[in-house]
Amino acid sequence: MSWKPEIDELERRRGFAEGLGGTAAIDKHHAQGRLTIRERIAGLCDASSFQEVGKLTGNGTYADGKLVTVVPAPYVMGLAKVGGRPIAVGGEDFTVRGGTSWGGDRRKGGQGGFVEDLAHEYRIPLVNLIDGAGGSVTSATRRGHTVFPGVYGFERSVELMSEVPVISAVMGTAAGGPAGRAILSHWSVMVKNSSQIFAAGPPVVERSLGQKITKEELGGTQVAVDMAGTIDNAAEDERDCFAMIRRYLGYMPQNVWELPPVVQSGDSPDRREQSLLEIVPRERRHPYDMRKLIKMVVDRDSTFEIQPTFGRALITTLARMNGKVVGVIANNPMVYGGAMDVKAARKQTHFVQLCDTFHIPIIFFVDVPGFMVGLQAEQAATLREGMRSVYVGLQASVPMLTVVIRKCYGMAGMGTTDKNGLDFKIAWPSAEWGSLPVEGGAAAAFKREIESASDPRKRLQEIEAELRTLASPLLTAEAFAVEDIIDPRETRPYLCHFIDAMQGRLATNVGIKKRAGVPP
Amino acid sequence: MARKEVKSEITGSVWKVMKHPGDPVGEEDALMVLESMKMEIPVLAEANGKVVDILVQEKQSIVEGQILAILEVWRA
Repeated sequence: MSWKPEIDELERRRGFAEGLGGTAAIDKHHAQGRLTIRERIAGLCDASSFQEVGKLTGNGTYADGKLVTVVPAPYVMGLAKVGGRPIAVGGEDFTVRGGTSWGGDRRKGGQGGFVEDLAHEYRIPLVNLIDGAGGSVTSATRRGHTVFPGVYGFERSVELMSEVPVISAVMGTAAGGPAGRAILSHWSVMVKNSSQIFAAGPPVVERSLGQKITKEELGGTQVAVDMAGTIDNAAEDERDCFAMIRRYLGYMPQNVWELPPVVQSGDSPDRREQSLLEIVPRERRHPYDMRKLIKMVVDRDSTFEIQPTFGRALITTLARMNGKVVGVIANNPMVYGGAMDVKAARKQTHFVQLCDTFHIPIIFFVDVPGFMVGLQAEQAATLREGMRSVYVGLQASVPMLTVVIRKCYGMAGMGTTDKNGLDFKIAWPSAEWGSLPVEGGAAAAFKREIESASDPRKRLQEIEAELRTLASPLLTAEAFAVEDIIDPRETRPYLCHFIDAMQGRLATNVGIKKRAGVPP
Repeated sequence: MARKEVKSEITGSVWKVMKHPGDPVGEEDALMVLESMKMEIPVLAEANGKVVDILVQEKQSIVEGQILAILEVWRA
């Protein structure tokens, strides 16, 4: 007597799960250019690597004690692999009741649940494929009472942020809990023209504020990625989104108790790019392309820029040096001369903490005239956000190798280096630094002397010229107040030596990073 | 041909205007140079085409997101 009848029923039940919300709902979903959750998991993960967990969950209907059908739970999740390494992956099934939450005995995922426990217990990355609008008032009719906010809380989601890489991909329209879940991640991505994210969607906005606005205007990539930085990156389409997630995971360790994976770079650490000699214009007022500079120094084709369209006065990119993962932070002279505005500060704070958490050494290419000035900047609390970025930079224990390309002034300049221990700062001959630039600074410091001169303008120029002769970086190097001045072409070999050498030390410093105190 | 608004990425002022309505432009040609935070920031055409309108004058203050010029470009 075999168990064949039971196995047949099991297969039938699995078939209902594969069928998601039914053909009509799937067609409608596809018609909007969106993939189903099963297609998404298949598109993201290594071929045949998905081991689903909880496939039988759902609401069954029965006639005369016999199963008629099962409406699957609107969340699909399990264990899978990306690049040969295990991950926990899950996402809402929009074809079943729009992916709204479902009341099982144990949650599958989306906000706590099995998939988050899996990432926590196995210490493997979590990928959330988000496509749901959160709670629904209909749950009150089902339960007979309203739920207290956070009955399925974010406790585990928060815990994961110090343990394993968490990636959130907003695949459809996310509001409420799923939108909040998207933010609780180390890196987030959404799809252009197809994904939107907001605290609440257009109907709620219209009722609350009388604003009539489309969901794309309210929470499309132009707002959420470019303007607000709510989500880090924008993908061209869902396939591009999966490729980006796979690439991002390639820079990450499985958890904070490991170092990021090292690859064979195929790019000599001794490569010296001739063009680095000419990239910085001698005319101080002329900007240059910092992205080109970064690409000439790091391993070929190894960059992955985080928040490329937000806070554009600063560039933050993951990259590799001789195969080892590094985080590159660089001021962008094309935007506000690289001055740190509130968005750039926020971007730097996040990226430093990301690198510190996953033991990724930081390389800083500095060209910063200071914090952004002006009424708008003060109204936006640039000083406070800027000092927060300085604070987290000093608190970070991951090595920070600073290369001053041109300007390094003031408190923003202070935030580019941790002057002790494993860290050092070197500079190109084009470097200049101080508590503030000579222009403007001289007029204030020598005000009385200039005003009392017979030709105040001429006296100001004389004082500025005098101060400039003291501004040579070589004089600072004589005092060992900067560790070295280098030929720009030596940047890559110089940094590669130290990044290779620090690997052993990094391995002794793994685990959860404790961050005491209150950042400003 | 597609109409393209060229917006300022920064708050500052217009330093020099190089192109005028009717001028042909090539990709990466400078339309004008802005000044902000003591830097001269070129505003570049993102594709080949021609200038339809220049909406600012030299020395004029501009804010982030302000439309500086309108181009007709060969691709969107």
